[in-house]
Amino acid sequence: MIAYIIRRLLGMIPMLFAITVFVFLMMHLAPGNAIEAMINPRIKDIAALKQQLEIQNGLNLPLPLQYWHWLINVLHGNFGWSFGQHEEVTQLLGPAMYNTLILAVLSEILILLIGIPVGILQARSPYGKFDYTVSTASFVLFSVPYYVFAIFLIYLFAIHWHVFPAQNSVGTGPLAGTFVDHIWHAMLPAISIALTNNTVYSRYTRGSMLDVARQDYVRTARAKGIPERVVYSKHVFRNARIPIVTQLGFDLGGLLGGAVIIEGLFSYQGMGYLTITAVSQRDYPVIMATTLIFAVCVLLGNLVADILTAVVDPRVRYN
Amino acid sequence: MAEVLLEVEGLKKYFPIQSGLLRRTVGHVKAVDDVSFQLNYGETLGIVGESGCGKSTTGRMLMRVMEPTAGRIVFDGQDLTKLRGKQLKAVRRNFQMVFQDPYASLNPRMSIQDIISEPLVVNGIVTAKQSEPIVVQLLETVGLRARDRFRYPHEFSGGQRQRIGIARALSLHPKLIVADEAVSALDVSIQAQILNLMVSLKSEFNLSYIFISHNLAVVKHISDRIAVMYLGHIVELATKDEFYNHPLHPYSEALLSSVLTPSRKVRRERIILTGDVPNPANPPRGCPFHTRCPKVMQECRVTRPVLRDIRAGHSIACHLHA
Amino acid sequence: MADVVDKVEPVVSVRDLRTYFIHKAEEVRAVDGIDLDVYRGQIVCIVGESGSGKSMTALSLMRLVPKPRGKIVSGKIMFHGVDIMQLSEAEMTKLRGNEISMIFQEPMTALNPVLTIGDQIAEVLVHHRRVGKRETTAKAVEMLQFVGVPRAEQVLREYPHQLSGGMRQRVMIAMAMICEPKVLIADEPTTALDVTIQTQVLQLMRKMRDDFGTSIILITHDLGVVADMADQVIVMYAGQVVESANADALFEEPLHPYTIALLKSVPTIDQETEVLYYIPGSVPDATEFPTGCRFADRCPLAMASCFETAPEVREVRPGHLVRCHLVD
Repeated sequence: MIAYIIRRLLGMIPMLFAITVFVFLMMHLAPGNAIEAMINPRIKDIAALKQQLEIQNGLNLPLPLQYWHWLINVLHGNFGWSFGQHEEVTQLLGPAMYNTLILAVLSEILILLIGIPVGILQARSPYGKFDYTVSTASFVLFSVPYYVFAIFLIYLFAIHWHVFPAQNSVGTGPLAGTFVDHIWHAMLPAISIALTNNTVYSRYTRGSMLDVARQDYVRTARAKGIPERVVYSKHVFRNARIPIVTQLGFDLGGLLGGAVIIEGLFSYQGMGYLTITAVSQRDYPVIMATTLIFAVCVLLGNLVADILTAVVDPRVRYN
Repeated sequence: MAEVLLEVEGLKKYFPIQSGLLRRTVGHVKAVDDVSFQLNYGETLGIVGESGCGKSTTGRMLMRVMEPTAGRIVFDGQDLTKLRGKQLKAVRRNFQMVFQDPYASLNPRMSIQDIISEPLVVNGIVTAKQSEPIVVQLLETVGLRARDRFRYPHEFSGGQRQRIGIARALSLHPKLIVADEAVSALDVSIQAQILNLMVSLKSEFNLSYIFISHNLAVVKHISDRIAVMYLGHIVELATKDEFYNHPLHPYSEALLSSVLTPSRKVRRERIILTGDVPNPANPPRGCPFHTRCPKVMQECRVTRPVLRDIRAGHSIACHLHA
Repeated sequence: MADVVDKVEPVVSVRDLRTYFIHKAEEVRAVDGIDLDVYRGQIVCIVGESGSGKSMTALSLMRLVPKPRGKIVSGKIMFHGVDIMQLSEAEMTKLRGNEISMIFQEPMTALNPVLTIGDQIAEVLVHHRRVGKRETTAKAVEMLQFVGVPRAEQVLREYPHQLSGGMRQRVMIAMAMICEPKVLIADEPTTALDVTIQTQVLQLMRKMRDDFGTSIILITHDLGVVADMADQVIVMYAGQVVESANADALFEEPLHPYTIALLKSVPTIDQETEVLYYIPGSVPDATEFPTGCRFADRCPLAMASCFETAPEVREVRPGHLVRCHLVD
């Protein structure tokens, strides 16, 4: 297992290299650059200033060399200087990653607490009243874009009831900056993410449970005189959870990379928010950093998914 | 002397077992290990053995759908293991396969017409249009009706599907058909129908069969010669009469004694083998059967006996008959 | 063999059992009026081809017919004088695996892949006997050893995929027998196994009967297995019993044309036949059985009356029951 994990981690290196090269190229091929976005176009002698800034930031060098410098710096833990926010990129990443981590974990907890149990209940009496109601509601929820729900949630919880804040990842007042404050601010974006995902997960859980319920070994369990409640909680669920756990692993990777639209909508200062801000400012160093971290998260998510699968399924063994 | 259609020599299939950080090959699963036999024109060779003995792997290598690790397969004078691409495609029409599960081997979205004509069209023998009378004829040959060609696999019973699979295999007028557990999934009464059909087709189409099965009674009914496989090796190879009347290998004896006959009068003395077939990744030293053999000797634990002729038409791999 | 059979009062007695699958307007009559008596220590074989209703009969006895479509529509299933059709689901759960056990065809899929063998055996005891962990383990080891599983302690910690097919079926038998049930229902227990392993498993089942006096209902399509194991044989066709007799009598003189045809169409290693006998056609559609005899259109001896009136089961010899107009 250890050998397997090491091999997988080593395998990520060429993939990450390719991803960064690709993003690096894409960004430089797009028209306009950070310097243009940064300086006031009414300044006199704009050409000279531009040139000076380009030299300062190493933007006059050939592309491969620019990439090489970036790579060496990253390997030393230095992601460069943000043109847009005038700060070390590393300084920006810390809080953004922390905020996104809270959001991702909170979303997954909500999925685990709602989506999966709902799916299990649906599978207990398929085509019953509860199943039909949930299925219908799921289709409605799923067919409406989730940012619409986000806006609805903001109206309801933030504007109407004043339960959760609509904006930012930290508040003011005595609790400002505490863990509780962070959770409190992450609630609405997390609910928005979980809402859509819950429909997917409940559907998925239901399908998986019904699939397993048809298996021979479930019939064996009944033939052994195991009470129906235990048949479901033990024999069915322990098998049905395998694909779900795998999916949770995948999704966690994606969520840790940042939820761009939701974070943008709630001005929640996570990785997604950092990325869109950087894109609008052509802030290369930040974009490169967030892209790299996103890629690492997705790849690690895949690895975590595979490891979790092996944990819940004794048939899966890596060597 | 009959002419040889197929000659198999030293056929091997090893699957590597990889382990560790660098995925080094730490061993092999020897699914088929040094198998040699001949098949004459118009002959049926039955290959019997229990699951994991390598009989299906052998069949798949003969069909060239699986690459052998070593060995030669000489079919009609040509070494198949040396052929690639177009050359292989050209000879491939001469050998076809019939599978155990006729349902899994028929594309559910294709009509029977398309399923049976596919080999003809793919090989550029006729166009789809021209194939219709041929398909009609093939369907009638295997005991189905001409109008069945417009239907789809799910509309047929297991026995009928096996007839369709046979019709498809026959479409290219092959010289050899490899049937892998072709009647094992069928009910007895249907199994008898298919066996009778295969026997009658053999003379009608000048076919040779390799009939792979775990069922010794079925194999006896259809075969001229029998090969018994155990753990990747042929342990006994004999004509039908020799094998069923005078089995020599202790494994063959045990197999035959385990066959149950629907009669209360035939009471064979059972030879009950202990334990399971060893793991082919870690086969025993010496004779592969020595761990379960009731007649094991010291020599069996040390050297592997080779397959050799005991008398005309009967060879075994066993130290008892050295 | 028959000395263990105690013919005083049947352990299981089934009368006019009917199990249908109902979906919309369609009604599949899988089991259509079965009578069955099983005595203590007796091995009763139910033999038939696919679609005969033999497996559904077995599941009906356990009241495990797949819901919601399958339903036991009528009949009595007496177990030790109690009609189990009248029991509540909770009472039925107490019976299953405890008094009546069942093993299945595919030992590969019949065991839960994510639970250890030990867990799967132990839970039977936990639910039926409420015994402690240590006692459970000891009993499980003892049972595994009894069914011939080597290194039993280690196997308890293993998962089904780590065992061979034969070992899995032994584990299934150990699991089914751990509460020493009165009746063991075995649905094609050796069909998926190799011949040499089949011999071992059949021998084990016989030992179960001899040592525990367990009654065994053995469902099979293999007449060879029937000849080897049965005290009493029931031949099923299209949801009905067509012939029922003592095994010696049945193989000595089969009476129903279907039984005769079935016996003739099996290739054997003891005789040489050029062309195998076969039964033309196939089993009738269970949604619309003919009004006459269900075997009539495949029967070589069918008369006009066979197509008009359905034959009743009659006792034509002492203990030999046949459903056929021709036999007397």
